Amino acid sequence: MPTHLFRYILFSTIIGMISWACINPIMDFKQIDSTSYMTIEADISDDAALNKIRITSSANRIISQNPLAVTKAEVYVLDQTGVKTIFKEGTALGTYLPPVGFAGKVGSTYRLFVKTLTGKQYESVEEKMVPAPEIENIVTQFEVRDQYDKVDPRRNGFSVYVDFKDSPQEGDFYMWNWRHFEKISICETCEGGATWNFKTNVCVAPRVPTEDILNYMCDGNCWDISNNNELNVFSDVLTNGQKISGRQVARVPFDGYSPYYLRLEQRSITKNAFNFYQSLIAQVQSSGSLFDVPAQTRFSMNIKPITDPKERVLGIFNVFSVRKKIYFIDRLKSVPKEEFALITYLTGEIYTCPPGSVNCQDRVPCVESAYRTKITPEGWIL
Amino acid sequence: MNKLLLRVLPIVLLLAASQFTLAQTTTLPSVYGRVLDAQTGEPLRGADISVDFKKSGVSTDSAGRYRLYLPFGEYVLKVSHVGYNPYRTKFYLKADFELNVQLDDVTKQLEEVIVSSAATKRDIQTPSLGVTVLSLKGIKKLPTMMGEVDVIRSLQTLPGVSSVGEGANGLNIRGSNVDQNLIYIDDTPIFNPTHMFGLFSVFASDAIRDLELYKGGIPSRFGGRSAAVLDIKMIEPNTDKFKMQGGVGLVSNRLLAEIPIIKEKLSVMVAGRLSLNDFMFKWFAPNYLKNIRANFSDVATKVFYRPNNKNTISFSSYLSQDYYRVDSLFSIENVIAKRTSFDYGHTNFAIHWNHYFSEKLNLMLSAASTVYKTKTYAPDTVNTIDLNSFIKYKNLSASFDFQPNDKHKVNFGGTITRYDIDPGSLNIGVVSRVATVKIQDEQSMEAAIFADDEFKMNEKFTIQYGLRYSQYWRIGGGTVNEYTPNRMPSLNSIVNKKTYADGEVMSSYGGFEPRLTMKYSIGENSTMKFGYNRMQQFFQLLSNNTTPLPTSRWKTADQFIKPQQSDFLSLGLFKTYNENVYEASLETYYRDVRNTLDFISGANLQLNPNIETQLVTGKSKAYGVELMVQKKKGEVSGWVSYTYARAFSQMIGDYPEVQSINGGDWFATNYDKPHTFNMMLNVQPTTHHSFSFTFAYNTGRPFSSPSGMYEIGGKKYPVFQERNNDRIRDYHRLDFSWTINNPSMKSQRWEGSWVFTVYNLYGRQNPYSVFFKSSKTGLRAYELSVFASPFISLTYNFKFL
Repeated sequence: MPTHLFRYILFSTIIGMISWACINPIMDFKQIDSTSYMTIEADISDDAALNKIRITSSANRIISQNPLAVTKAEVYVLDQTGVKTIFKEGTALGTYLPPVGFAGKVGSTYRLFVKTLTGKQYESVEEKMVPAPEIENIVTQFEVRDQYDKVDPRRNGFSVYVDFKDSPQEGDFYMWNWRHFEKISICETCEGGATWNFKTNVCVAPRVPTEDILNYMCDGNCWDISNNNELNVFSDVLTNGQKISGRQVARVPFDGYSPYYLRLEQRSITKNAFNFYQSLIAQVQSSGSLFDVPAQTRFSMNIKPITDPKERVLGIFNVFSVRKKIYFIDRLKSVPKEEFALITYLTGEIYTCPPGSVNCQDRVPCVESAYRTKITPEGWIL
Repeated sequence: MNKLLLRVLPIVLLLAASQFTLAQTTTLPSVYGRVLDAQTGEPLRGADISVDFKKSGVSTDSAGRYRLYLPFGEYVLKVSHVGYNPYRTKFYLKADFELNVQLDDVTKQLEEVIVSSAATKRDIQTPSLGVTVLSLKGIKKLPTMMGEVDVIRSLQTLPGVSSVGEGANGLNIRGSNVDQNLIYIDDTPIFNPTHMFGLFSVFASDAIRDLELYKGGIPSRFGGRSAAVLDIKMIEPNTDKFKMQGGVGLVSNRLLAEIPIIKEKLSVMVAGRLSLNDFMFKWFAPNYLKNIRANFSDVATKVFYRPNNKNTISFSSYLSQDYYRVDSLFSIENVIAKRTSFDYGHTNFAIHWNHYFSEKLNLMLSAASTVYKTKTYAPDTVNTIDLNSFIKYKNLSASFDFQPNDKHKVNFGGTITRYDIDPGSLNIGVVSRVATVKIQDEQSMEAAIFADDEFKMNEKFTIQYGLRYSQYWRIGGGTVNEYTPNRMPSLNSIVNKKTYADGEVMSSYGGFEPRLTMKYSIGENSTMKFGYNRMQQFFQLLSNNTTPLPTSRWKTADQFIKPQQSDFLSLGLFKTYNENVYEASLETYYRDVRNTLDFISGANLQLNPNIETQLVTGKSKAYGVELMVQKKKGEVSGWVSYTYARAFSQMIGDYPEVQSINGGDWFATNYDKPHTFNMMLNVQPTTHHSFSFTFAYNTGRPFSSPSGMYEIGGKKYPVFQERNNDRIRDYHRLDFSWTINNPSMKSQRWEGSWVFTVYNLYGRQNPYSVFFKSSKTGLRAYELSVFASPFISLTYNFKFL
C-alpha cells in the first residue's frame, strides 16, 4: 500500500494550468455622474521658480477633456505681517504668477485669497513654511526587476535613494520630486509622408499617405523635460529626529549609456499637504488591490469657500521649502554584463536642404513648454 | 455534414432495429424478470425499462414482471420508477436471460443532507429553531477552489451568505459586516477566519463535524455580535476504533487520526493541515507576486473522556498559523522597508464538562481561551520594524439544559468574558531607527445571563422565547482624551487626558436582548417561522479596506465608541414535498443596526493612539427575500436559490461637515448585491463516483465612480464625490467536480478517493473591483479579477478504518 500511496502523491502534484489575478482596462467605461468643481492649486515656496497658483474648473469627464482655466481672478497671498503679494495671470491662462523674484521665507506663514470674476471668494487657512533638510547623500543602484521580460522597460533601471537628517521636532512631512533634462537634436518628426510647414509650424500630410518619416533638427540647444510620475511623501511620525536613510526617490530608466541628469527636490510640506497627497496616492497609486481603501476625494482641505460655504473646492494650498541636488547618474557603472540598455533608435530620415538651394530652411525651433526648453538646465555640464 | 451523418446514423439504425425486434418477437432471445421494492419486497408496477438509454416502451405489469425481446448483443438496461433510485446494468444477450431487480425507495433512503434546518442531535436538544446545519459530508461534495474543502466558501452557496468578492476575508450574512458575525469553533471565537489574506478558510475540514449557521432566530446563549452566528463543532473522536483519514492536494496536505486510548472511555483526535504554497508562487504566480512566500498550517485536537454515563469531559484546541513575505505590497506607512513579513494565527483552547443529572437536566461547564496574534516585521535593515498586536479572550460559561416534559426545552445559564487587547506595539525592545510606539492596552469584561424556552404548545405551534442581559465594562488602567466640548475630536481639540487606575471602570454599557422564534405548522408539510432578536456588540473591527487585513485592529467599546445594537426580524415559509424529498423555503428579513462605524476621508488607523478622531458613527439597514428549493435525496440532489438583498449605511456623525459620508445620505455598502442566484447539483449514479456542479450569479458590488477629473502638479486625478454610486460587472461562475471513491472497488481497510475539480469552468474574468489610473489622455478605468481563469486541481483523499 505505501508504494501505492506514494504513486498517488506523485500523481496528485500534477496540476493543470494556474493563472492568477489579472487586471484589464475597461474600454467602454461610462461615467454615471459628471460634475465640475473649482480647483485651486497654489504653491508657495522659498524657491522663486516654484511659486505659482493655478485655478481651474475640473473636467467633468475623466477622459479626453481637460480642466478649464479660470481666468481674470483676483489672487493674492498675505504673510503673517500683513504683506500682500498679488499673483497675476501669466501667458498660460488660469496660471497666476507673483512679481519676479518673489519667494516665500522659511518660518513665515501665508494665507491665500482668491476672488473669481463671478465674485466667488475663497480663502485658505494659514500655512507655515517649515525648513527642509539638506539631502545628505544620494545612492544609485542598478536594480533588475527580474519579474519583467528583457524587453520590458520596467525591468532594468537605476534606483535612487536619499539619506537625510530629520529635524528634532515632531510633525515633519516630506515630498520628493525629480526632473530630468534630455538633450535632443531632433525637434520634430513628421510621419506618414508628411512634411513640415515652416510658416504654420505643423506637419502637413500628403494626399496619399506614405510610410516615410521625416525628422527635423532643432535650430539650437533643446532639452526634453520629464518629471516623476508618482507622488512620493513621507512623515517622520515613526522616525522623528533620526537619520532617514535609503528612501527611494526615483527610478531612472536604462534607456542609454550616457550620464543621466537628475534634479532632485526634497520638500518640507505641511501636514495638510501631506494628508492631501496621501489621499491622492490611495486613490490612484495604491489602488487595485484586494484591500483598497474607499475612493474618496478630500474636498476643501485647506482652502475654504467663503461666498457659498457649502461649495466643495478641490486642490491644495501647498506651502513648502525645498532643497535641491543636481546629480548625474553614471549608467555604465555596476551594470551586469548580461543586461543591456533599451535604446530607442531614430527611425526615418533627417530632412536637410538640398545642396545649393536658396532660402531653404531645414531646422525647426525648440518651442518652450512644460515638456521642452531651450534654456540650459541648472548645473548642466555635459 | 459527415459528422452529423455519423451521429444520426446509429440512432436511425437502432430505431430500425427496435422496430424490427417488435415485429419479430418470437425468434429473438429475451430479457425478463421482476422488479421489486427492495425494502418491502412488493412488486412494482409501471417501472420503465430502457435499453441503451432509450425508452423501450416496455413497463412492468401489476406483478412487477417485464419481458423484452432484443437481438443478440450487448446492452445497457435501466429500470426506473418514480420515487425510486434507478438501476442500471450491462449484459450480453445470447439467450433468454432473467434479470430480477430490486429498487430502493428514495423517501426511505437516508438523507444525504448538505443543508438542513434542524439542529444536530444531542442528548437533550437545546432550543434551536432557525438554525441551518451544514454537514461536512455534504460540503465535501461541493466543487472546491484548488482542491481545498472550504467551509467559508461553501457557505456562500447558501442564500443570504456572501462576501465582498473572491478572495475576500470573512462573510457578509444578511447584510452584515464581516465583524458582526460570531464564528465559534468548539466555543472559542475566531477573529480572522481565513488563511492567505482571504483565499482559504482557516478550518481544517477533516476535523469538523458540522456547522450550524444562525442567520435568523438566534438563541439567547449567543451574544456579543450584532448579526449571525456560525457555530462550528469539531468531531468527537471515536472511542471504539482507530480511524485515520487524510488527503494530498494542490494547496495543502491533511491528516486526521482518531485514536481510542481506553475503549469506550477515552479517545483523542488530531487533525492537521500544512500548506505547500511557496512553490506555486515561484512557478505559476504572475510576476508581481513571484517573490511572495506564503505558508499556513492548522492543527486541531480533541481529547474526549467519558468516565461514566453521567459525565463527559472534552478538551479541544485549535491552532492556526500563517506566514507571508511580500515585497512591498503592504507595509507600515512611513517606514522604509523593502520586504515585509507577516505572521498571524490563533491559539484556541476549550474545556467542556457535561454532567447529566437526570434525563431531564444536564449541565455544561466550559472554559475557553483564544489568543489571536499578529506580527509584522522587517528585520534586515537599519529601519527594523517589529509590530505586534494581540487579542486575548477568556471565557467561562455555565449552561443548563432542562426538559421538564415533552413540551418544554429550557436552556439557561451565564457567561463571563474578559478581553485583553494590545492594539499595537512597535519596536518594543528592538534597536532600530524606527520609533518605539505603544498603543495603550485595552481591557474589558462582558457578562451575560440568558434563558430560552422552546415551548411546544401543540402539534402545530412551537414558540421559543428567550432573554439575554449583557453588561459590558471597559476597565482601566488607561487614559482617555477629553476634547473641547462641541468640537469634533481632533488632535487640536484635546484639552485633557484623564487617567484611570487599574481595575477602575472607564465606561460601561448594558442592555436586554429579547429573542423570539415561532414555528407554526400550516399543514402537514408546511411551516411558518417568525423570528425577532435584538443583539449588542461591544467589540468591533476597525478597517476601511474593501476586505479587512489580518492585521486590522479590533477595538472594544469605550467612551467614544458605543456598542452596536441591532434589531432583526424574519419571516419564513417552509414546505416539504414528496415525503421530504423536496423542500422549498421562502424567507424575508429586515435588519436595523445602530452605532456602526465608518471612517473619515483619508483616515489613518495604523498605530493611531487617538482612534476616535478618525471615526464616524452611523447606522445601517438591510433587508431581503430568500427563495430556495432543495432536492434532498435520490440520484440527483441539490438546490437552487434566489436572493434579493439590500444593505445600506448612513454615516452622518456628530459633526456632519467633516464626518458625513455621501453628504449624509444612505449609500449602498460594499457587499450590497441585490440579485443572487445559486445552484448546486450533485449526481451520484453509483456509490463509486459522483459529479457536482455549482453555479453562482450575483449583481456586481458597488464601487465609487468618478464624476470627473482634476489636475494637481500636472497629473490627473479622479474626483469622487459620492460613495458606491456605480456597480462592477455581474458575477457568475460555474464549478465542476468529479469524485471517484475507492477506485479499486475492493472492500478493504484502506479506502482512497480522487477528487478532480475545475473552479471557474468557463474562465470568466469576474471583476473584484474597479479602479482608475492616469493615462496620457485622462484617466482610464481598470478591473481587477482575482481568479480569472479555470483552476484545475486534483486531490487524493484516503480513509483508514
